[in-house]
Amino acid sequence: MLYRIIQSDVMRSKFITLTTTIFVAVAAMLVSLAAILAVHLSGAIDTLMIQAKTPHFMQMHSGALDAKRMTAFAEQNSQVDEFQVLEFLNMEGARIVIDGQSLAGSVQDNGFVTQSSQFDYLLDLEGRIIQAADGEVYVPIAYMKDGTAALGDPVEVSGKLFTVAGFLRDSQMNAMLASSKRFLISANDYAAIQSDGSVEYLIEFRLKDLSELGAFEAAYASAGLEANGPMITYPLFRMLNAMSDGLMIGVILLVSALVTAIALMCIRFTLLAKMEEDVREIGVMKAIGLRLSDIKNMYLAKYAAMTIAGSLLGYLLSLMLQGVLLENIRLYMGDGGNAMWAVLVGIIGIVCLMLTIIAFVNGVLRRFRGISPAAALRFGAAGGASSGAKAFRLSRNRLLGTNAFLGIQDVFSRKRLYATMLCVLILAAFIILVPQNLHHTISSEGFATYMGIGNSDLRIDIQQNEDIAGRAAQIINTLDEDSSIAKYVVLTTQSFQARRDDGSTEVLKIELGDHSVFPVQYAEGRAPASTDEIALSVINGNELGKRVGDGLTLLIHGQERQLMVSGIYSDVTNGGKTAKAMFTAPSTDIMWSVIGVELRDPSLASAKVAELKQRFNDVKVSGLAEYMNQTFGRTVSSIGTAARIAIGVAIVIMVHVTLLFMRMLILKDRYAIAVLKAIGFTNSDVARQYVWRSVCVLVLGLVVGTLLANTVGEGLAGAVLSTLGVSTFTFEIDPLSAYLLCPLMMGGTVLAATLIGTSGAGKIQISDHIKE
Amino acid sequence: MDMITGHDMVKAFGVGEERRRVLDGVSVEIGEGEFVAVMGPSGSGKSTLLFALSGMDHLDSGTVSFAGRDLSALDSEELASLRRTQMGFVFQQATLLKNLNLLDNIILPAVRENRKNAQGIIARAKMLMSKTGIAELEKRDITQVSGGQLQRAGICRALMGSPKVIFGDEPTGALNSRSAEEIMDIFTDIHTEGTTVMLVTYDAQVAARTQRILFMRDGSIVSEMRLSKYEGHSMDNRIGAVTAKMREIGI
Repeated sequence: MLYRIIQSDVMRSKFITLTTTIFVAVAAMLVSLAAILAVHLSGAIDTLMIQAKTPHFMQMHSGALDAKRMTAFAEQNSQVDEFQVLEFLNMEGARIVIDGQSLAGSVQDNGFVTQSSQFDYLLDLEGRIIQAADGEVYVPIAYMKDGTAALGDPVEVSGKLFTVAGFLRDSQMNAMLASSKRFLISANDYAAIQSDGSVEYLIEFRLKDLSELGAFEAAYASAGLEANGPMITYPLFRMLNAMSDGLMIGVILLVSALVTAIALMCIRFTLLAKMEEDVREIGVMKAIGLRLSDIKNMYLAKYAAMTIAGSLLGYLLSLMLQGVLLENIRLYMGDGGNAMWAVLVGIIGIVCLMLTIIAFVNGVLRRFRGISPAAALRFGAAGGASSGAKAFRLSRNRLLGTNAFLGIQDVFSRKRLYATMLCVLILAAFIILVPQNLHHTISSEGFATYMGIGNSDLRIDIQQNEDIAGRAAQIINTLDEDSSIAKYVVLTTQSFQARRDDGSTEVLKIELGDHSVFPVQYAEGRAPASTDEIALSVINGNELGKRVGDGLTLLIHGQERQLMVSGIYSDVTNGGKTAKAMFTAPSTDIMWSVIGVELRDPSLASAKVAELKQRFNDVKVSGLAEYMNQTFGRTVSSIGTAARIAIGVAIVIMVHVTLLFMRMLILKDRYAIAVLKAIGFTNSDVARQYVWRSVCVLVLGLVVGTLLANTVGEGLAGAVLSTLGVSTFTFEIDPLSAYLLCPLMMGGTVLAATLIGTSGAGKIQISDHIKE
Repeated sequence: MDMITGHDMVKAFGVGEERRRVLDGVSVEIGEGEFVAVMGPSGSGKSTLLFALSGMDHLDSGTVSFAGRDLSALDSEELASLRRTQMGFVFQQATLLKNLNLLDNIILPAVRENRKNAQGIIARAKMLMSKTGIAELEKRDITQVSGGQLQRAGICRALMGSPKVIFGDEPTGALNSRSAEEIMDIFTDIHTEGTTVMLVTYDAQVAARTQRILFMRDGSIVSEMRLSKYEGHSMDNRIGAVTAKMREIGI
């Protein structure tokens, strides 16, 4: 009997049943995919890092290296299991030409290495340790992915010719987020090109016990060993590897939550409508003494059947689609070998989803309790008059047309019913506006200042140079003579030891110079204004436990110096761990220098970049726009794509739900429509009333959605960006798009869907519904 | 002068072998100011006749003319306008909208027609409510009043536009005998004021209030009887005559 009830109900509402099942299927597919991907990603990262024997601690260092002292440290430290120093031959991008294209425009630090002998291996795509023959070069997998290199391509490095013999997985530097890329060549070839680049050292340790990493870091720092460059640890390598695919999994989970929410809203709506339609039958069933649970089960059965069918379909789809999404993980990190486990976790995810939906349906069905048999039988309503619309009296209405009044009044008297559509429109406005506002914000010029980068026109990076200070001085001379330069500032970064409150020390990279020329955004306080002040990046501030107004002790050449924290700022450069101060220090310890330049005519930036590049070919000159584009271009364009996809998804959801909602509404209201027609209302009167209902819900949805996007959405976007080191984030909104074009687009979409969805109202025959 | 004329009206329902003529070539004239009842057993076609003559149902063939206008030549908007301005309807269930209170339900078709005269419309609605005995209930929701009171509100709504004809489809069918009698008193008054009234009923007491009764069976008018003007004291005789006629023709 249950089967017959389900079958007849499905046949009566094919469109709605199908739509809801599809939403459930999509949600199930996404949940399962996210679970499968997460298991594979975690497994693949572990496998890669085990195969490659990734170092637990790595310090990059440019400049002289005291090998004896380093070896002595490694031997004396009981934590160290293995130790090695690898050479990384940093090569100017312009000197590397792959298949006729130079890497001059690359923001990556590209360098050449030979295969390691102990650990930190570079692996081929089968996970084997590569041995490069003379004349062969193995290229980072990222360059295969972006189409820069293909197997067999000729590669010219400082005039020496190589052939791409394969691609390598680098457990340290695979991700685009890692700013260096290693090319593998033979030892002979390395010796041949060594003089064309600058050597940087990778000082690497593997520890006996990874949990002692913190203590080891402190020991390394306090030993005052070479540290002229970034320091990275095992957990950070793991995070870098997980970042891009992890973000994708996060997005999939977010979308699946969204689709589940929509599926639940559709179910709630169809169920409420069905309950209202069946209220007499429910009243009769209650009146003849059927148990509440028996009645509930009849309704629950249909949704359980739909949920199971949708979930199974979704699971099958996820198994079919997983290959495409796993491609990236497999390419970069290989196979995790957790296939069975992944399948199981996928099933667990789907079972959770199914239970959520069934529990939700059960919750909605609790309303049965409120149905009074007497009221249901007498009026065909669940009992009680419509509430909340008492203020709307047609007899008092002087403002609105009759159709507008009836439309709006209906929304307020059946709030629960319209809540579904309202939620969908709020959600749609939210998912349209948040990515769009985020995209507009991060692609705006001012955003650089959020990231710890001053808003100059040009940026000259002097790194890996024997005499950074001398080179900077030469460039300054040139800039002084150039009349097209409005102003410039030299910021040099040096490494100092900062004393923590507990007496231990921590290495602090401090950017020295005048920070008022191209200021960044300060989350708290301001830029250092005197030589006794220092500003800390958010991450450093947190790590040192310092706030604005606190004192900070620095050790400068053995001498203590007391500074006051003047400000805390957002920073995404150098791992977000930076500081800014104005004092001067001996120029011998300079790690790098950056010269920010403002032009009198900013439109000449690219010409000036070319000119300076030509003149100073050993430094990196970039326009700020270009620098931002290379550093964050992919992020900006990904968010741009996400914003466009979000608009598409929102439109599909709006059309779908509005159509579904209006069809349901017409079905539910057919008696009232017949009454209106009988007393002389025309088909266009009825259509107008439904348009007014849509307009009313749309306006509410837009207002609430926009408010939420500008508050909760801004907070969410800020939370995502804070992981990169950006604090105090506010949206920069394009008013034309956010407050005019988007509402117009949403309005047009909803109205079109309303007109299509309510076209059935014209076909309702008075006699079919009123004749006794 | 005829107010409504139906000629050779055919209307069938169902498909294939199941298809059945509910109006099988019916012709009828209803004069201006007449008070007519249509009687017949269930499924005889009496409600379909009312819906056809009021333009709410489309005919398969045949014609209907209302106050000289051919209804088949009118589009849905013109028919709606005609229902709003020249016809009034009272159904077995009161067919009031749940979202509106009694007063708002009553004024609904009138404000649709002429919103600017709101004061006049409300005054007329209150006058009609007072006349039909529901003056105190104007602010009540439709779930807060009795079936008889709902039906009175339905009659008030039908009278709002001062229609030429009132159609009633078993207007007392869902009421107890006392309420039914009160409703019929209102219909009698409406007729006395000059409005044409056409009622569909299975109840001899209701039919006995009218001046002309059409008897239907199997989609055709099988007989007709005329009665004198209703006077309260002659009711028993009228009912007796109607039931005798019903027996005579076997319905």
